Amino acid sequence: MITRGGVMLPSERLDFSAIGQRPKLALPNGARLAVWVIVNVEEWDPTQAMPRTVLTPPAGGAPMPDIPNWAWHEYGNRVGFWRILEVLDHFRIRAVLAINGSAIQRYGSIARSAFERGWEFIGHGFTQQSMQKVADERDDIRKTAAAIRGFTGKHPRGWLGPGLTETWETPDLLVEEGFEYVCDWVLDDEPVWLKTRTKPIVNLPYTQECNDVAMMLIQHHKASEYYDRAIDQFEQLYDDAAQSARIMALVVHPYIMGAPHRLKYLRNVLARIRDHRGVLFWTGEEILDWYLVR
Amino acid sequence: MIPRERCAYSAIVDRPPLKLPNSARIVVWTVVNLEFWSISRPMARQVLPAPTGEVLVPDVPNWSWHEYGMRVGVWRFFDLFARLGIRPTLSINARVCREYRRVARAARDAGWEFMGHAWEQMPIHKVEDQAEMIAKSLDTLARFAGTRPVGWLGPGLTETYDTPDLLAEAGVKYIGDWVYDDEPTEIKTAHGPLVTLPYSVELNDIPMMLVQHHESGYFTQRCIDSFERLYREGAERAKIMAIAIHPYISGQPHRIKYLEAVYEHISRYEGVLHWNGAEILDWYLSTRTER
Repeated sequence: MITRGGVMLPSERLDFSAIGQRPKLALPNGARLAVWVIVNVEEWDPTQAMPRTVLTPPAGGAPMPDIPNWAWHEYGNRVGFWRILEVLDHFRIRAVLAINGSAIQRYGSIARSAFERGWEFIGHGFTQQSMQKVADERDDIRKTAAAIRGFTGKHPRGWLGPGLTETWETPDLLVEEGFEYVCDWVLDDEPVWLKTRTKPIVNLPYTQECNDVAMMLIQHHKASEYYDRAIDQFEQLYDDAAQSARIMALVVHPYIMGAPHRLKYLRNVLARIRDHRGVLFWTGEEILDWYLVR
Repeated sequence: MIPRERCAYSAIVDRPPLKLPNSARIVVWTVVNLEFWSISRPMARQVLPAPTGEVLVPDVPNWSWHEYGMRVGVWRFFDLFARLGIRPTLSINARVCREYRRVARAARDAGWEFMGHAWEQMPIHKVEDQAEMIAKSLDTLARFAGTRPVGWLGPGLTETYDTPDLLAEAGVKYIGDWVYDDEPTEIKTAHGPLVTLPYSVELNDIPMMLVQHHESGYFTQRCIDSFERLYREGAERAKIMAIAIHPYISGQPHRIKYLEAVYEHISRYEGVLHWNGAEILDWYLSTRTER
């Protein structure tokens, strides 16, 4: 293994591999596709700059504190999450809750509702800030795992960096802190192994494409584009899966897809996908366990 | 006080539902924003940044783009709301009463509610003496409109940590800056409780047209999508839907019909109340007392 001062480049963590040239992956009962739904629940610190904004101040700049954008995000946890929950309950989908460690206590009723439904909890940083700005990354990962374990009684198996951010060392630290999979590497439609300085870790196919942050807050699409894109994505992956099983992720945030004008487009996506045969709605750890024993 | 100290987290599903009179399901709260943009400072918003993105003072093209709203666009609003019989809330920089007397008079004569919206359009963080600015704004509006405003919206919804304290001290009863719920809520201040009303940054032509750059027609779609969802939820618990508009944006000839289409759609439903902020506040305070 080539390392530079202990730093592994992404290309050293995994070799290039073309998807069509790998052994076939098969899901149980001839299913073609596993779909996993990730709900991101965050706590935004009102004394810091907001991670995302909907409204810029008059004449620009970034005056602090930024109460309106803090409140806009808080809406997701007070109101929007409960709309998303109703939709997932309706389709009996157990989602993956990617949650900031601090949010478990702050938004106790959200964590309880997810736990009661058997959702999977994965680490998402202790607070919503770039992993490159965290003072002590290992400590942040540990605190997050401890917050989840303290609440669910189970050490989390999966991790999603806040904003998918990583340092050079993140995958190494995650393995050392007991994590089994990460979702920051959106480089494939199948799970892959990433080498670390100890044992390897699995990366599951998360998405920046069917993700409401990228689509609504950065690309500024209409809400209906979430539906159009997700269905286009699904149909292509469903076709691709004739050769070998595929994984599809759908990512939502309560403050974005939980807005009254957006929710129905999420509902319609799930309704349409449910109409297809050979689709499994799985959590991350179900995908992981299948991948490990296949 | 940071926001958390003013109000603990609360999930909407854990609260007893609020009920509107006569089994109404939803309140539509229309808020028209009138502003004064000082030519001696960078413009609050720009439709056209200068070549290479430089910030220019004076910025005549963007000043005049906003001025169009006061000269032309706002009259399309007056016409629309007169036809509909709706009296919106007017979120007004107090200086507008001096600089655009004709416009302020039209709103007053039409019976619109005047809501404080600072003295002129700039982030409240840059105001040297906030207490003085708040007092001057409210006094000016009270003198002009004949009644003292009970509501306040920060310019661009901006607040510093002590803004709610200063507002409560000045006699303000509700604010629109906290877009964090579908229901009114109460927050703590150093001078007693202050009510938050659910203003909107979603159904608001600034984020939609100037930040997200949506097509004009999307305004109708998003408002209808919101309305239908909230109307459904309104069967169980009262919902409030704010529509926030600015004459220089939604008053444009190519946009006004999409605003009209929103109200036309809403008019087909029963159980919809068009209330202003003061009316929503009175209802909220009275339902809470009954409870």
